[in-house]
Amino acid sequence: MDIQQHIQKLVDDNDVMLFMKGTPDFPQCGFSGRSVQILQACGVETFGNADVLMDNELRDGIKVFSNWPTIPQLYVRGEFVGGSDIVLEMYQNGSLQEKLNAPET
Amino acid sequence: MITPEDIKMWIEAGLSGSQVDVTGDGRHFDAVIVSAQFEGKSAVQRHQMVYSVLGEKMRADIHALSMRTVTPGESVPH
Repeated sequence: MDIQQHIQKLVDDNDVMLFMKGTPDFPQCGFSGRSVQILQACGVETFGNADVLMDNELRDGIKVFSNWPTIPQLYVRGEFVGGSDIVLEMYQNGSLQEKLNAPET
Repeated sequence: MITPEDIKMWIEAGLSGSQVDVTGDGRHFDAVIVSAQFEGKSAVQRHQMVYSVLGEKMRADIHALSMRTVTPGESVPH
């Protein structure tokens, strides 16, 4: 399985998937940490996560996957939601909570 | 070292007609970008437009760039 297929599988297998620096308990970057806090504030206690600092191939691959050069990256039900700024903005205007709590289709 | 003025200049050159305000310390930057070209685009698409203008600089030189992207008719979120 190549890295793009591996990323696709992570995104498919996890309703909420965060590619980040560090782990939810020990984020290694303020932007990643803020995204974890926002997910938790939305009531999402457990979510898929991958630490790009542990895997250079993943770190490069995820930037190509969504044509997005920065980390963190949040995916909900297979859809790329955005990076740290967009996640914060959507949390502040309530649309992130809506997306996270939308019923399964 | 990259200055906020560099980033302002690069974005304004790439997105013609845009108005850009950048603050930052050489590694972390915060940009407010007002452009009519964002009309009808999602937040993800708007950020991708800016990333694409910055190209390799985003990978190599700019450690972190926060963005607020609005059209002339929208208010800037805080």
